Amino acid sequence: MNDPDGMEEAGGLPGLAAAPAPGDFALRVLRHVGIPPERYDTYVRLGTPAGGLFVAASPHAVTGAALAAPDLTATAFEVRHRSRTGRSAIGAPRPFSGVVPALRTGRAARLPIDLTGLTEAERRVLQAVRAIPAGQLRPVSWIAREADRPAVDVVPALTHNPVAVLIPCHRATHDNGRPCDAGYPPEIGDALRRSEGIDTRRMAELSAAGAAFLGSDTTHIYCHPTCAHARRITPAHRVPFRTARDARQAGFRACKSCRPLTS
Amino acid sequence: MFFPVMDEMAEQLTDLLAMDLDGGFTELVRIHGTAVHAFLFRVSGSAADADDLGQDTFLRAYTALQGYDPERRRALRPRAWLMTIAANVWRNHVRTAIRRPVAAVSVDETEDGWPDARPGPEESAATSEDRDRLVAALSELPEIHRVPVVLRHVIGMSYAEVAEVQGCPVGTAKAQVSRGLGSLRRLLAQDHRYGR
Repeated sequence: MNDPDGMEEAGGLPGLAAAPAPGDFALRVLRHVGIPPERYDTYVRLGTPAGGLFVAASPHAVTGAALAAPDLTATAFEVRHRSRTGRSAIGAPRPFSGVVPALRTGRAARLPIDLTGLTEAERRVLQAVRAIPAGQLRPVSWIAREADRPAVDVVPALTHNPVAVLIPCHRATHDNGRPCDAGYPPEIGDALRRSEGIDTRRMAELSAAGAAFLGSDTTHIYCHPTCAHARRITPAHRVPFRTARDARQAGFRACKSCRPLTS
Repeated sequence: MFFPVMDEMAEQLTDLLAMDLDGGFTELVRIHGTAVHAFLFRVSGSAADADDLGQDTFLRAYTALQGYDPERRRALRPRAWLMTIAANVWRNHVRTAIRRPVAAVSVDETEDGWPDARPGPEESAATSEDRDRLVAALSELPEIHRVPVVLRHVIGMSYAEVAEVQGCPVGTAKAQVSRGLGSLRRLLAQDHRYGR
């Protein structure tokens, strides 16, 4: 009693402040009270080769995902999700159905993803990116053609990807073959690409050598270098091309699977 | 550390509550759920009780909000208001527990129904001897001191907010906190002396 503020100077009651609430406390409160599930999003933190990934979803679709970072804690993700979508993100014990297999296999193209709030251009670009198969890369001009938008729209839309990893922006490259990695550090992109079996060193070599496309001199078909058909061309028959025009002039046609540009 | 409350966020929250009850309530739970749980955990000393009483606190809050007009919802100070409800819920719980002693329940039921008094995984993960002693000492404080000490030093509320929860002048709240801390210190010193 002689020193009533002594403990305060020492910073309160050390050790008691960090009382952990169970992760799904808020969710159980909302269910107990009877708030309709349509009124809020739930989220989980899942593991990916590039670290933790927060994935938020409404009852019908994934509404946002972001890689955890020193400045992106669970609370920061909640705040950001709220300001972007206007919906509360409530911690949940279970992820949206289909997210875990999509992350495991890299095949997320059929996962319902809600892109409301984005511009028409951004939506179309991101939908085109979703169509890039796992383990393959596509250049900006290809994405622009698929999205039916000018190429200048592509990189800004990738930068604003609100559903990291599940919309695979790490599979987008510049037209010279170098990865785009807009909106996150290149190490993250490399980790994601390597986890899909992409040989990042070989891709860098090809891009440095100016080989944007690979053709086979037995079939006279040219592909993107990560296309499954390009990967099975034996070294003796591999013909690199800098542009689609070069390939066409050499008498090659575009692959019908990876559909490279023709002009 | 303490539970930060950004003024800006609190302002948006009451606006939201005034305009859209369900949407605002969802944010209320998201922002203040952890603090309400932490308060109840430290005053009751049991994670299971904190969970049940926390659910009850928010149910009461929601029912009350339904009866408030938008202006009243806008004027709320959400954290102090929630803590007031939580403190009442806890006091009611303690009173009921005294009135209905455990002996009234048949032995079979107590087997499954009794909350496990041992520390749960989340508690034992960070358990240290000092913390155990502090928790034990806290549970020996009388309610009138325990609530303000937890509000001030676990939740990190200002004396003005503590006074609002306790329904007393700020000076009284300060005195309650400092008496509580004094008792805590004495209890810890005793422990030390008897080598517990």
